[in-house]
Amino acid sequence: MSLLEVKNLRVTFDTETGRVEAVRGVSFSLGHERLGIVGESGSGKTMTGRSVLRLVRPPGRIEADAMTFDGQDILHASEREMRALRGKRIGMVMQDPKYSLNPVMTVGRQLTEGLRLRDGLGRADATAKAIAALEAVQIRDPARVMEAYPHELSGGMGQRVMIAMMLIPEPELLIADEPTSALDVTVQAEVLAILDGLVRDRGMGLIFISHDLRLVARFCDRVLVMHKGLVVEEIEAAHLMEAQHPYTRGLLNCLPRIGGPRAPLPVLDRAGF
Amino acid sequence: MALIEIENLSVTFRAKGQEVRAVRDVSLSVGAQESYGLVGESGSGKSTILRAICGMAPVTGGTIRIGGQPVPTPRGRAFSAQVQMVFQDPYASLHPRHTIDRTLSEPLAIHGIGDRDARVVQALTDVGLPPAFRFRYPHQLSGGQRQRVAIARALMLRPRILLLDEPTSALDASVQAEVLNLLNRLRAEQGLTFLMVSHDLAVIDHMCDRIMVLQHGRTVEEIAHADLAAARMTTAYARSLFEASADRMLDGPVEPAR
Repeated sequence: MSLLEVKNLRVTFDTETGRVEAVRGVSFSLGHERLGIVGESGSGKTMTGRSVLRLVRPPGRIEADAMTFDGQDILHASEREMRALRGKRIGMVMQDPKYSLNPVMTVGRQLTEGLRLRDGLGRADATAKAIAALEAVQIRDPARVMEAYPHELSGGMGQRVMIAMMLIPEPELLIADEPTSALDVTVQAEVLAILDGLVRDRGMGLIFISHDLRLVARFCDRVLVMHKGLVVEEIEAAHLMEAQHPYTRGLLNCLPRIGGPRAPLPVLDRAGF
Repeated sequence: MALIEIENLSVTFRAKGQEVRAVRDVSLSVGAQESYGLVGESGSGKSTILRAICGMAPVTGGTIRIGGQPVPTPRGRAFSAQVQMVFQDPYASLHPRHTIDRTLSEPLAIHGIGDRDARVVQALTDVGLPPAFRFRYPHQLSGGQRQRVAIARALMLRPRILLLDEPTSALDASVQAEVLNLLNRLRAEQGLTFLMVSHDLAVIDHMCDRIMVLQHGRTVEEIAHADLAAARMTTAYARSLFEASADRMLDGPVEPAR
């Protein structure tokens, strides 16, 4: 049975200037695999990810024909039931560590907060577990990082702290929204390797949201390409180069490549679809 | 003679009694109408070199010459008529309460150049925007349109040199392609010299004739365009950047990152 099932998801915002449909009927199912969602800004990829946790603020509204996680209806679940899922069984890594970590709490306190409140662990046990989590994401001096405030960390470190925080409760599904777009390429490769190991070793499901088609193609098993709130193509990552939809092809072709021709890059014909 | 000559440039920031040596003994020269790229990770000092040329970073050693003349401090009008910069974030680099018209006319006013009306219209046409855009504010434009305005602003004084600091990294892939094409067309039309910074090796490869790889403020390696494509780099660090470059992920069978 699949871990997550989403049927005909729609996210609508009622604004002063009329109705804005951010997501217009997205369906997918996810097993214990790595699913990539790719699209440009405004394509609805982030809203799709947030809808799974019902983290869309009013005036945004989530509607769907069905949305189930491990057999449980998450479309009609109460807030209390959702809180039991959030973090514990479904984790989410946000895009920017600068805005997603609490700036006035040390990393250590943020990492142990959940362990102490949710799991009722003592101070020493919680600290030991938090340090182990930091080591799992390849932070070399976890003791120093525990004492640091978020502004004292680099972007790559902050991103790894967020991943560590999400992984402590051992979620069955992780939604990662552009987890590496603020990172340098070499650090990016390390973070992806960490996520990859978790999917393999723990059988975690992963939704990887990114604007970078090349990265998603290399890292995921399956890719959904979104444009204007719709999934325009669903394709096995290994066959991405054989994509049929003109939007996917356009996205692939407009990227420069090392050793590629110096001719003007092909640009997307936005009128085409 | 090279148009931009930088010899043993060092930049040191001092904060709270600590010294951060952002650039250490970097030398490079860029010929007229050449396109030169700087790559490296964050903190490698690549943007600081551009800022040092413009006088926006504390130079603690070395010389910068433009067209054989050492740059004056402060840089002054003659310098800005020759050298202009395009910044990374088009959301932050345009004045939010100035219309596009005012943004574009300001350099002309400062330099006492007349015929502003025609020049603003021409500048917008050059970067592929409709002339009516001059009456808009930056928040009424998309990211790609704003970066076009930033490029138009940099070209108002008809400089010979454009310093490009990650000009497309805040943009979507399809918009990036449009802006890179625009920059290449303008370089050919106006005979510009580019000094461009990017963390994306594929973008630098597409745009530049020669490339310098930086790490921790030091030069690691200078690579010619042909050598980059053929993977003829000599240092391990340059090779690791090349191997990690995202565009290589589409080559050959797709394997998960390990």
